[in-house]
Formats: sequence, structure tokens, C-alpha cells
Amino acid sequence: MIEYISGNWEQILSRAGEHVYLAFTAVGLACLVGIPVGLLINRNKRIANAVMGVANILQTVPSLAMFALLIPLVGIRDKNAIVALFLYALLPIIKNTYIGINNVEPSVIEAAKGMGMSRMQILYMVQTPLAVPVIMGGVRIATVTGIGIATIATLIGAGGLGTLIYQGIGMMNYPMMLSGAIVAALLALLIDFILELLEKKMTSRGIAIK
Amino acid sequence: MKKIVFILLAVILISVGMMAGCSEQDNVVRIGTKNYTEQYLTGQMLSVIIEDKTDYETEVIEFGGTMLCFEALKSDEIELYAEFTGTAYGAILEQTEILGQNETYDYVKKAFEDKYGITWLDELGWNNTYILSVTAETADELGVSTVTELVPYADDMIMGCDNEFIGRTDGLPGLKEAYGINFKQELPMDQGLTYAALRDGKIDVNVSFSTDGRIAKFDLVNLEDDKNFFPPYYVAPIMKQDYAEANPAVVDALRLLKGKFTEEDMQHYNLMVDEGGDVRDVATQALKDKGLIE
Repeated sequence: MIEYISGNWEQILSRAGEHVYLAFTAVGLACLVGIPVGLLINRNKRIANAVMGVANILQTVPSLAMFALLIPLVGIRDKNAIVALFLYALLPIIKNTYIGINNVEPSVIEAAKGMGMSRMQILYMVQTPLAVPVIMGGVRIATVTGIGIATIATLIGAGGLGTLIYQGIGMMNYPMMLSGAIVAALLALLIDFILELLEKKMTSRGIAIK
Repeated sequence: MKKIVFILLAVILISVGMMAGCSEQDNVVRIGTKNYTEQYLTGQMLSVIIEDKTDYETEVIEFGGTMLCFEALKSDEIELYAEFTGTAYGAILEQTEILGQNETYDYVKKAFEDKYGITWLDELGWNNTYILSVTAETADELGVSTVTELVPYADDMIMGCDNEFIGRTDGLPGLKEAYGINFKQELPMDQGLTYAALRDGKIDVNVSFSTDGRIAKFDLVNLEDDKNFFPPYYVAPIMKQDYAEANPAVVDALRLLKGKFTEEDMQHYNLMVDEGGDVRDVATQALKDKGLIE
């Protein structure tokens, strides 16, 4: 096993790079779309329910099926994989943004109103900073899940660590199979750890749980 | 402030990611492969010869099956891949009348050029056909050596095959019709797993690829296709006609492979990979053995 990794570290690294590219691009896009959406739907309960309903339905589609369903729409390869991973990342991010904003204590908002802040100012200067831990929680879930689902992307020609796993299965090459699987898991752990540090940095000291 | 930083980070990450991914250089030949040993090997062989004989670089991309490779080629997501005449004939064009090796090649070449603007380069030399296999014990016990002889026993047998065989015109439906054969259970799975599954008795009969090295290694016996149901499956690189005309260097490099490899050769090299060999190393070795590269 060690020999395989030391002998093939370039390939493993290259596949890991492809994997990161797929997952990060998708989650990055999901943040760009999901966080503003989560902030905006705050106003109207019905719209909020509708939006989260859609995201929920997307979540239930099995990943292999999602890639397949997207083929007639976006073709194959990395475009397809990124769109699929983007759709899966939406629910945790939108939901957590929404919940995070909603769970800000009414008394804090009252105080802000009392200080003469406009609705937008309250949203950006009070609610969002307080919701950061919850929002980041959503991003972490989305990223870790994305890294997991991206292992299947090899089937539509998007590469990634799944290629090592899948080829390993076909050739019954256990070191190859396991190196793909273990590196994928380690990648998820590493990213989660980094995001946790980022979360701590972004949480204002006043609300950090000691 | 923190939110701005976060958004900036996300934008930077995305841009970097997209720039890394969208590197479509001009002189890169993207070679598609299907998802089993011999295709990985063939893809690397094509890659090595192109890189050795021309200034082009190559990228080998794996897809989950025949139709995905074919779609990728049609939509120019790849420049070429190695296809089997029989697969094109039976599965893509859905023809059932069995022709000889050259007739099949001529038929698919003309049909693909007319319908898809895709041309076939020279055959690499080997015929990798579907073939039903059983263990040596089963063959002895039941005294079977052809598919027709298997038919009466098949009702009690579990059959293993790849995911494509189940639905292809040159696959299970056609086989059932041609031989009147039926199995107790049909188990599609990753093709590479079927050989060990057969050896270990998890299945009773599998649909092998005739050039797989594990048939000999696991002491499996091939049953003769006595009704001549399967078409010839000779492999050749296929690419868009326009691409072939615009890139003669690539075509010339691939032409060097014409008729160079036999079924025995491929069984040998496939086995090397299945026993743990690195695919590209084995591909390079194969080309060296035939005196195609230094």
C-alpha cells in the first residue's frame, strides 16, 4: 500500500487536484448563490418554504441519477459534475443561512431598530455577523458532502479521486482502490478542519462560545 | 467586513478553480477510454505513440461506458477513442446480420462517416469479442463446450456481465433470442469483477471479453459461439473526419499501430495490468516489444 502511494504520488496528487477543483468550484458557486438567497428569503415565509422545498427535493435525488439527468442539459465531464455538486450544496447553505438569520434574538434587532438602523443595515451589520457560525456550518456540510459525491464524477469523465477507486475496483488493485478512498476521506477531514478555523476567525468575539 | 472577505475568498477560489479546469490547449489530443482494463491500456498505447511520434500532448479521460465515449466524441469533448467494429455495428447501429471482419469494418466506417462525420482509422489487430465462460469444473461436469450445449443447464445458472451487455442489441436480448437461452438470475456489475466472481463460484457463467488475461489465469473455459451470434469486434481508433484531415501527424502516428497486436498479445498485456502493473508502463512496454518506439 505504501509502495503504491509512494510510487504513484504524482497521479494521486493530480486526481486530488481535479477532485478539489470540482468540489470547490461547485461549493463556491453555491455560496455565491445560496447565501444571498438565504438572506433574501428571510422576508417572506411562503417564498422561504418554496425555495427550501426545491432545494430539499434536489437533495433527495441520488447522485448517480443526478449526473445522468444532467447529461442532456449540460453534457458530460466537469461541467456536468460541477452543476450536480452545486445543486447538492444549495440546500445546506440556503437552509443554514436562513436559520442563522432567523435565530438572531429579537431583542438584538429591537436594539438595532432603536438605534435608527435601516432594514438593510440590520441585515448586514447585525444579523449576518451573528449568523456566521451557523452559515459556516452549512458551508462545511456542503463541502464535505461535495467531496464525497465527487467520487462518482469519474463515470461521466470528470476525473477526480473516484477514478482511482473505480479503476482499482475493475482491476482488483486494492492499493489503488484504497489510496483513492483514503485520500478522499482525508481531503474531506482536512477541508473541514480548515473551514472550522475559518469559522472561528470569522465569528466576532462577542458571540464566540467560550 | 468579514462578509466581504468571505465573498472575495469565494470569488478567488472559484476563479482559480475555473482557470485551472478550463485549460483547453490547442495541441492536446484528448483520448477517451471505457471503464475496463483493456481500454485503459489501449488508451495509454494511443497516448504514448502520439506523444512519441508527434509534438502533440495527450490527455486520457475515462468514461463510464461505450455510449458516454461516443457522446463525448460526437460533442467534441474528446478527439478520439478506440472503438470495436462489432460494438459500433451491433450496439450503436443496432444491426443484427453477422458479417465478416472486413465487411463489418467497411459497413461501420461508411455509416459513421455518413451519419456522424466520424471516420475509422486502421484496425490495431485484435478481436475482443464477448464470450461466455464457465469454470473448468463446470465444463467437465456438464460436458459443455458450446453455448448451445449450455442452454438446458442455463435455467439454474446465475449469469454475470457488465452493465452494457444487459441492454445491447448485440448483448443479452439478442443472445436470448438467438439461442433460446434463459438464466436463473442476471447480475450486471463492473466487468472486471466478473472473472473472480466466476472463479469463486459467486456466479455460474459470465460474459467475458475474449482478450482478458484472467480467463487463462483463473482456468476458465470459453464456450464456442456456435450459432455465430456475436459480430467481429476488431478495435480501431475513431475520430472526426475534420480532425483527421486537420491533424495528419496524429493520423500517421496511429497508423503505425495497424495490425500490430494479436489476441494473445493483448491477453498477455491485459494480465500484466490486472496483476498490478502500471497501465502506462505496460503500454510503453507493449509498444517497445513491437519495435514501435525505442
